[in-house]
Amino acid sequence: MTDADLHALTGAYALDALDEREAEDFARHLAHCEACTSEVRELQATAARLAGAVAEVPPPELHQRVMAAIGEVRQRPPRTTVLPLRPRWRPRGLPYLAAAACLALAAVAGGFAVQARHQADQQRSAAAQARQQAVRLTAVMSAPDATLHAGAVKGGGNATVIASRQLNQAALVYHGLPEPAGGKVYELWYSVNESMVPAGLLTPGRSDGTTLLSGGPRGAAAVGVTIEPAGGSPKPTTDPILLLPVSA
Amino acid sequence: MRVVASGEQSPASGPGALESLLERVAQGDQEAFESVYHAVAGSVLGLARRVLRDSAQAEEVAQEVLIDIWRTASRFDPARGSAMTWMLTLAHRRAVDRVRSAQASANREHRTALRENTPAFDEVSEQVEHRLEREQVRRCLESLTEIQREAVTVAYYRGRTYRETADLLGVALGTIKTRMRDGLIRLRDCLGVAA
Ligand SMILES: [Zn+2]
Repeated sequence: MTDADLHALTGAYALDALDEREAEDFARHLAHCEACTSEVRELQATAARLAGAVAEVPPPELHQRVMAAIGEVRQRPPRTTVLPLRPRWRPRGLPYLAAAACLALAAVAGGFAVQARHQADQQRSAAAQARQQAVRLTAVMSAPDATLHAGAVKGGGNATVIASRQLNQAALVYHGLPEPAGGKVYELWYSVNESMVPAGLLTPGRSDGTTLLSGGPRGAAAVGVTIEPAGGSPKPTTDPILLLPVSA
Repeated sequence: MRVVASGEQSPASGPGALESLLERVAQGDQEAFESVYHAVAGSVLGLARRVLRDSAQAEEVAQEVLIDIWRTASRFDPARGSAMTWMLTLAHRRAVDRVRSAQASANREHRTALRENTPAFDEVSEQVEHRLEREQVRRCLESLTEIQREAVTVAYYRGRTYRETADLLGVALGTIKTRMRDGLIRLRDCLGVAA
């Protein structure tokens, strides 16, 4: 095949539509063709979006099987022994983020199982809502532009804000929040041009969880949390106990 | 109210959240893997189901892919693309390998059956709850010409080679390669994808 013929194969290669031999030939071509390499990179990222568009909620058994298996499976060492010099990024909030997000999603999945047994319409719509919430959380966490900011909450607990401007959606993962006194609630806010826009309430009586914020982070500089009277308020009545940026 | 920088913040600048998680997975961090799982399992399973058209096989392949992500996380190179792309490319290849090896033992009848069953994106997306992403992708697929759209979706969601796709759509081989490329390029521009 001539080079010109090979250049035309970027699309088919990104779609895994070459047969084995052609794919090997093309991979060799990629090693010395910068134009094709960068085009393939973009087209593979595009194809991956086609996968995102058919995402579904995986059954809890898949999670159990995979998590059980990784305890047994040995990982491959890195291909090279040269360590990269770039600084390692280690957010303080992450260890609990994993556990909290997992618990939240497991609770959602468990909710389906229970609700599937009853057939009441009301319950079905609640399950559908929970399902959609879980899918959106997954989408935010996996968004290519997702940013992640963690911080300690004044008064106790930790929280992480995950935000995607592309999806215009943000999620808060929280852990160890004390119950506010006097029936008060935690309210979420977007900080937009120095004013605070309400973004929903945390479910009362839960110290750990994951929640999607209502509204979107586009145009917002930060996400804040305040303690407000039961039912929430249209404007903050107290100082924020947490304020985290939503940009990169 | 002003936004004040507090010393407790940990900005995720540089690599994205998923890239950082994958880096920790490569060090054997199971909690990081847990987050990666939740970010990607839905797409991996949905994709395997489109390609394999069989629930049991789709779950098997999804499980293999997810374990493979754990096993080979150290091979992920952020200089060559995003973590999500790396994982979903792995998933697509695995599903395609499976469908092609099944196909190698099948015959012409199988191909005839396929021809009667060419997927439309409508059918593909019906059961999807991933609304925002689905709608954007659907809108962008609609901006493609019919041949571009069919070339891309038959190859990707059905795991067909370009030869089979050309055969299915009744288009010349040279044309189908070009349609796959310019279809994906148009899709890339519409979705605003950067590598
Ligand atoms: Zn080239």
